[in-house]
Amino acid sequence: MVKSLRKLVTVGLLSILLFVGITACSPQPPSRFDQTQQESTQKGVKAVDKKSEQGSSFNQFFPKSGAGYDRVYTQEKKGFAEAKLKKDGKDMAMMAISDTINTPSAAAKFEKSTTKIAGFPSVQQGSTATAVLVGDRFQVKILSRSPDFTVSDRETWLAKFDLNGLARLKS
Amino acid sequence: MSESIFKLVDELPKDNLTVKSLQALDFVIPGEWKNLVGFENTIRTVTGETDEDMIQQIGDRAVYLFNDKSQGYQTALWLYQTIDSAGSALGTAALANKIGENVGFLSFLGNITPKADKAQSIDLSLKVIVELLAFCQINGLPGDSIGDFLGALGDYGGESLMRMAALVCFDGLLPLGPDFILSVGDRLGQMQPSDLKENQAFNKISDFIPGGNPAGKLSFIGESFGSVSSWMGNFVSDRGLTPQLVAHNLSKYVEIADDKLDYVAAFLDMSTNYYEHTGIQTLAHRLIERAVAEI
Repeated sequence: MVKSLRKLVTVGLLSILLFVGITACSPQPPSRFDQTQQESTQKGVKAVDKKSEQGSSFNQFFPKSGAGYDRVYTQEKKGFAEAKLKKDGKDMAMMAISDTINTPSAAAKFEKSTTKIAGFPSVQQGSTATAVLVGDRFQVKILSRSPDFTVSDRETWLAKFDLNGLARLKS
Repeated sequence: MSESIFKLVDELPKDNLTVKSLQALDFVIPGEWKNLVGFENTIRTVTGETDEDMIQQIGDRAVYLFNDKSQGYQTALWLYQTIDSAGSALGTAALANKIGENVGFLSFLGNITPKADKAQSIDLSLKVIVELLAFCQINGLPGDSIGDFLGALGDYGGESLMRMAALVCFDGLLPLGPDFILSVGDRLGQMQPSDLKENQAFNKISDFIPGGNPAGKLSFIGESFGSVSSWMGNFVSDRGLTPQLVAHNLSKYVEIADDKLDYVAAFLDMSTNYYEHTGIQTLAHRLIERAVAEI
């Protein structure tokens, strides 16, 4: 009786150990970005095309500091430039120009656009962004970083970009 | 193949000795740094976005950008990791099974050897260089003028500013004392290229340092340190920072002996990886900012 009980306990303990062991060694739960990780690490896959416009050529089209706002350039990469709008030292919005040669779906979303800003098709995206597509190629986007920077502020500042100049950049 | 950016951010510790040490510096830059971990969590926090489809798109683009080696993000990661791991290997080995605990400084005292001032001076200035190099790898050279570039550098906040605060406090004030900026500048001025070649961290990142030969690299290091000296000086004086003040605040989070500051500095060097930790947070932040603007 005692012997079989001991056996039972041993078997029980072993199975617990085994279970714990398996759980501890099992791989992490899959991430919603696993598939993208796989796709983007295939040979020859690039995030940025060689033919993208240099980020440095976008800088000149950004609105200047003014009306209590400071413009601080933050990133300049191939196909992308970004600046921050600050007021009283606080981040209010991010302003960016990107080359949609690298992100065709970004350009495609403008096909459904029914609105325009300064003559260029515009869209609201998510809850914080407004963007226009210039020359069917360059996306100009403003993202609010403060609730005080409203949709109408985004539209006002988008119109302050030299959008026509940017349209001529496409050669 | 290197690790995915989402895994790196997901696996950042919520609480360990590195995190505790950085939290102890909240008094230096109040409220600037929160230990933001988890990739999705970072997307939500940085962008303020709640739309699930948008979050997926932002994350997907960030993953693509990180994995494109030509974009510099992986080089930046390597630099942050390498400058941290250049510390003694003892730390990692000895602390491996104590992660999350408030590891006893005193129990490790016997294993700690403070770095010579020369080695510490080189390590500090190399961390400055790594910050500069990683900044350019991640952000490029923003704007059209030197002024624009300095403006971008001056806009440090959040985890980047915390990294600089830790650099000043843990690699400057604690090991080298209140006059560390002057003394490091002097030491660099007197150094020979051969001194650099003896330094482990220098040998690892040497290829990335401009200047051609070791003599040219040494002068680049000296100039770079000189150019951030006034920023560091103001950072220290504006906040009235002293080695004792840093140690006092640190002792609230980590068990230390505040009469052996060079030992405390060596202990932190061995047992923490604040450059890598906050560096991954910076990378994630910048990648996500770019991704949300590009999609």
